[in-house]
Order: sequence, then structure tokens, then C-alpha cells
Amino acid sequence: MTMQDMMKDPLANIVLMHADDKLMLGHMQSDWTGLAPILEEDIAASSMSQDDLSHALVLYDHLAARFDLTADAIAFERDAADYRCCDLITIPDEFDWAIALTKRWFVATLTALGVDRLATIDDEDLSTRCKRLIPEQAIHVRHLSEWMIRLGSGTEESRSRMQAAINTLESDAGMMFEPPDHSIDPVDSFCCGREGIFQEWKTSCEDTLQRAGLSANLALPPESMIGGRRGTHATHFTDQLAELTEVRRAEPAPAW
Amino acid sequence: MVSTDDIGAALEQVPDPELPVSIVELGMVEQVEVANRAVVVRLIPTYTGCPALPMIERDVQARVADITGIDHCRVEWCYDPPWTPDRITEAGRAKLASHGVTTPQCGYVDPNHVPLHTSALACPYCGSSDTRLDSPFGPTRCRAIYFCDGCRNQFEHMKPR
Repeated sequence: MTMQDMMKDPLANIVLMHADDKLMLGHMQSDWTGLAPILEEDIAASSMSQDDLSHALVLYDHLAARFDLTADAIAFERDAADYRCCDLITIPDEFDWAIALTKRWFVATLTALGVDRLATIDDEDLSTRCKRLIPEQAIHVRHLSEWMIRLGSGTEESRSRMQAAINTLESDAGMMFEPPDHSIDPVDSFCCGREGIFQEWKTSCEDTLQRAGLSANLALPPESMIGGRRGTHATHFTDQLAELTEVRRAEPAPAW
Repeated sequence: MVSTDDIGAALEQVPDPELPVSIVELGMVEQVEVANRAVVVRLIPTYTGCPALPMIERDVQARVADITGIDHCRVEWCYDPPWTPDRITEAGRAKLASHGVTTPQCGYVDPNHVPLHTSALACPYCGSSDTRLDSPFGPTRCRAIYFCDGCRNQFEHMKPR
């Protein structure tokens, strides 16, 4: 079993989609440690990044056992084209809290639906792991939704900045639903079937947006549009991946 | 011949590094197997991102390997069944409360919708139910921060499932 076998496996691609989202999200949003708007949120944002990385590990560990690899090899030793994370995550936030929050909220809402589905799949190891992730992920979604509502219904400045962030990110949010790979038989319409999971995600997001007094145009991208889910990442992803894997490349077998 | 009870007694001496309770009281121990002179301890993490897990693993190995008649101890982390605060023992709950950490009632499941947790918790210091969630992310992965408007103290709460 090799990395190539894993990359050809439909279910593995779905797991990687969520795991890679988590890896990149945890990596990028940890930039906010020490800088979040208020002290409680500094702890919360850092905790969520810590969770994201450990959730990625829980999923990589499953794949590692299944494909006779190691979690570190899966996380750090793939070519850029073998990462399945969406482009939304890799958009730099330039330390704009509205962008960082909206990005994380869009992704977290999808991940919650993803682990819910994977928890019912006919694979005992994977479903057991995902059952554990459900309550932890639910706390992220609720916390982030509260922030969306708080800022959306706050001052005129907070509302307009949140709306601007949504307008900037909404089309990339739709790209999260790009199918993982054209060459892979979409056996798993249950897990990644775009229509079903997209509609649920959209309903969930719109419910929060309505409470927040905000709006978004959330739509599926055209089939022809190719992005990160199929390994064609935005240009800045190469730099982010280089940064993420720097220690691993410098020291292939580090011991803490 | 060392029994699983002997191992259990040793595990009761393994503290959680961040709370004043043992890993047995926290309900982290799922299973103990003794075969010849080797022990396998199956533990359930309270939270996947808990940074104390490697420390707990080392402590368990050290305690168990110290028992006369045991040469080797292996720790297996498992997620099945998932840990919930229901697994915390009565003694564990009492110790946490005296430390200012409340625990959800057995069987309590957090409603999965916005707004976050609106049910009132009794303050561990003054008993007032005039309390509110301050942040779902506390000092460790498994604890949230609450504030009591009765006595104006902050306290912590083990996150429900």
C-alpha cells in the first residue's frame, strides 16, 4: 500500500478533504494566537486551532493504519497536487478578523456535516473516530455562529465589515463543494454528494446569517471550475505548504 | 499472579496532570488486560486535542511496570466508546466541585443549536443559578468558562457531549 493507493481511493479522498481542511485551517489560524480581539477569544481561537490539528491527526491516523503509512507522512510528505483542502482556507486573511472568522465559520459548518456523515459509514474505525469529533466540532460551529451574530448585529461598522468579508469569500465558500476528483467514481454520493451536503450547509449558514442580519449568495460552482479539492490550488498554497512542512524537511525524524 | 484489580489500584494513583482527580475517577480507563507479565491498558481520551495524553501514557506505564510481577505495560488509546462526562465517578465529581469545576448531570446532552448552552448551572461556590457561559474554551480542552453573577466568581465546567 502506498500514498498513490490512498490517493486513488474514493473514501480516502473524502477523509482527506476534511483532514486537509483541518490541517491548513489549524496551521493558518494559529497566526491569531496572541492577537485575537479579546482575551477570551484569544484562548478560544488558539483552542480551535489546536483542535483542528488534532482532528486532522485523528483522521490521518485512520488513513495511516488503512494504507500502511504514518500520519506525519500523510500530513507532510505529499505533493501539493495531492492535498484536498479547499482554496477558501488558503486565502490570506491579512489579520482582518472579519475574514478570519467568516472563513473559519464557513469551513467549520461543512466539517460538522462531514463528520456527521462519516460517523455513520460502514467502516468501524473511521465511524468511531468521527463520532468522537462530532461534539467537539459542534462547539466550534456554535461558538463561531455566535460571533457571526454578535458582529452582524453589533455596530454599523462591525456589520458592514462582516458583510464585506462574506461578499469577498462567498464564491470560494461554494468551491468547498467541488468534487474531490473527476477520475474517482463518486461512489460516495452519501458523503460528498454535492447537492445534499451543500443544501444542508447552505440552510445552516443562512439560518445563522438571518439571525445576524447578514446575507450571502451561496451557490454550487460550475462542474467545470477546478480548484483545491482536485489538487489545483491557488498560487499562495505552495508557500503555505512550504512553511508548514519546513521543519519536517529540515529534520525528517524529529523527536520531541 | 497479578490481577486486573491490582492494576486498577495502581491506576487510581495516576493523576490527571491538570485536575485534582485520578484518571480512574475521570473515567478514562476502559479496559485492563493482564497476560503473563504484560499489561495492556485501554484508555479513552477526554478530548482529542488534550496535550496531557502523552504524559498520562508515561505515568500509566511507569506505575504499572512498577508492580512486582509485571515486566511491561502498553497503553492503547481508543475512541470507542467515546468519553463523556457521564464517565466521571461520584468521587471524581465531588473533587472537581470542591476545586471549582462543575460537571454536567449524567445523561445530559447539549442541545445542538445556537445560542450556546442556555441552561443555568449552579455556581460551585455560592450555589446561585444566576450563571452564564463566558467562553466554551477554557484552560484545557475539556473545560468551558462560566461566570456567576451571584458571587461574581468565574468557575469552570466540564464540557457536555
